[in-house]
Amino acid sequence: MKWVPLGLVRYTFCLGGLSVFFFLLCILTGPFLMLYYVPDVNRAYSDVMDIMQVVPFGAFVRNVHRWSACLMVLCVPLHMLRVFLQAAYKPPRQLNWLVGITLLILTYLLCFTGYMLPWDQEAYWGATIGATMAENTPILGAKGPFSVLPSDKDIHYIMLGGTVLDQPTLSRFFFAHCIAIPGALAGLMGFHFYNIHRAGGMSGPL
Amino acid sequence: MIEKVIEEEVPTTEENKERLRLLTVVRGETLRNRDIYERPPRYELFFPNFVMKELCVGLAFLIIIFTWAYYKDAPLYELSNPAETPSHIKAAWYFVGLQELLAYFDPYLAGVIIPSLILGGLYLVPFLDPDPVKGIGRFAFKERKFAIGCFLGGYVMWYALLLVGMFFRGTYWSFYWPWEDQSVVKATEVALWSFPLPAGIAFLVCYGLLMLLLPAVIFQDFFFRVGLIRYFITFNLFAAMCFVPIKVLLRNGFHVKYVLVTPWFNI
Amino acid sequence: MVKAIVGAEVLDAKKIARREAIRKGLFWACWGVFIGFAGVLGASVVRFIYPRIVFEPSSIFKAGKPDDYKAGSVTLVTGRRVFIVRMDKGVYALSAKCTHLGCQPIWYEDQQIFKCPCHGARFTKEGINFAGPAPLPLPRFYLSMSPDGHIQVDKSRVVSMDFLLEA
Repeated sequence: MKWVPLGLVRYTFCLGGLSVFFFLLCILTGPFLMLYYVPDVNRAYSDVMDIMQVVPFGAFVRNVHRWSACLMVLCVPLHMLRVFLQAAYKPPRQLNWLVGITLLILTYLLCFTGYMLPWDQEAYWGATIGATMAENTPILGAKGPFSVLPSDKDIHYIMLGGTVLDQPTLSRFFFAHCIAIPGALAGLMGFHFYNIHRAGGMSGPL
Repeated sequence: MIEKVIEEEVPTTEENKERLRLLTVVRGETLRNRDIYERPPRYELFFPNFVMKELCVGLAFLIIIFTWAYYKDAPLYELSNPAETPSHIKAAWYFVGLQELLAYFDPYLAGVIIPSLILGGLYLVPFLDPDPVKGIGRFAFKERKFAIGCFLGGYVMWYALLLVGMFFRGTYWSFYWPWEDQSVVKATEVALWSFPLPAGIAFLVCYGLLMLLLPAVIFQDFFFRVGLIRYFITFNLFAAMCFVPIKVLLRNGFHVKYVLVTPWFNI
Repeated sequence: MVKAIVGAEVLDAKKIARREAIRKGLFWACWGVFIGFAGVLGASVVRFIYPRIVFEPSSIFKAGKPDDYKAGSVTLVTGRRVFIVRMDKGVYALSAKCTHLGCQPIWYEDQQIFKCPCHGARFTKEGINFAGPAPLPLPRFYLSMSPDGHIQVDKSRVVSMDFLLEA
């Protein structure tokens, strides 16, 4: 038997719940896109074209996936803002705030790896920028200040699976977008909810 | 009639509880069992009441998304071409803020250090806030001026950068005022200059000292309440945050490229 | 009651200490095994994602004859990410990779500058980063003349800013 403050939906705008909802929509539509999408640099773009133009309801499924992802990446920071403004990170909920920030990072990573997959111009140059940012990491990147690793051993090399964007990069991003990050996100989300429960429910007025 | 009676806020006296129980028995299955338990004032059940409300909001958004997805296609640009960057390129909207930030700083700063500071600062929030109870569960703007001010400041800055990148940046990432035509390529480029090394060091040292000492001197109560370590971390992060708009101002207003130039890194 | 105390006395201090030491040792040994296992697992994952063979184009290629380029022109070698700049006196090769975040700058003929579309870096014809966020000038690559009279670009060799292949 769990009691929560009455009218919670009204003045917290339900943002956390909506984030979960949008994530679920993405989880539901993603596998359908995977049926027609092959992460091959020569095929990826035409597969997305097929999804948009040939597959029945393909465009609709991709649109739902994309737009709900957009709304999710809007909702998650807003939820964080609400949590901060209502001081819900204070004891006993510190741990949940930390988990929440990790969820925020994972959401952004999910978006980054996701918009790489169509392999269009925006994806290619976006990924180039992301990879070069990794290359410029201090100490661990080849071009960053105080770098110690050569350009074929730094984190940029791990990220791309090479020194230029090519098939290994797309495979890696596909794996990250479809398996690694959603898995971590789902697991941490569960922990996030469990923590709410353990901390004695959502932050009511004290 | 019976339901209406129950929906009202009934004072939970022993007599009323008994009445509720009786009513429940009378209506049997049709009454949801929430009302036979003692309900704390201003609280409702997590399941089903709260979950159902969330679900309703979710369904409203489902309708919005479906309509939106039916009429508006997700963006798809031309096939990637490693041999050519398009002259007008913008990241997906949620990264345009970062792209705008990158236009002012070296990649190691805007791409790695600043995001790490933002995320590190966010992780540290529960430990930097000295007060364990103030304002939980309500919008206490007046009592938590500094905390909320800092957070809102950073939050607004991120989205302000995003909006500038979204609407004021045109071809070749040149800055256009809203009244300027973005299809006309900017004809002039202003060369940038950097502070000489001593001036840069002096600027950063003065800035750091000012940001670290001034608040402690002015708000002494605050300093003693927070403690030295918390104060030090908080105001380092605060100084880093305030440095971003300062650099933007220096770049746009005075065409300053770097505040500090060293052989290893530039700021 | 008395017997119980006597029974307890049998375990002398030495024995207790030894048991305690064994218990502690086992505790830390378990943690050690666990951390070692996790470390080896993590290291092997990191090693796994380091590619061993990389299929990438050669860094040395030919870029036509010097006379193919008009004096004062800047030409992009498509797919190689190199600009060939032909001056009256000679030729030099500039990297077509912005030193800021790796986008490809676009040669803008009217103003005689390179403009990077991603974050607004600007380079002069010599590759100097005069505006925008680029931290370094565009690197120049080593050029040589191959026996058949073609320009040979070596992208793995970066040369100084005054390098010019006379032709």
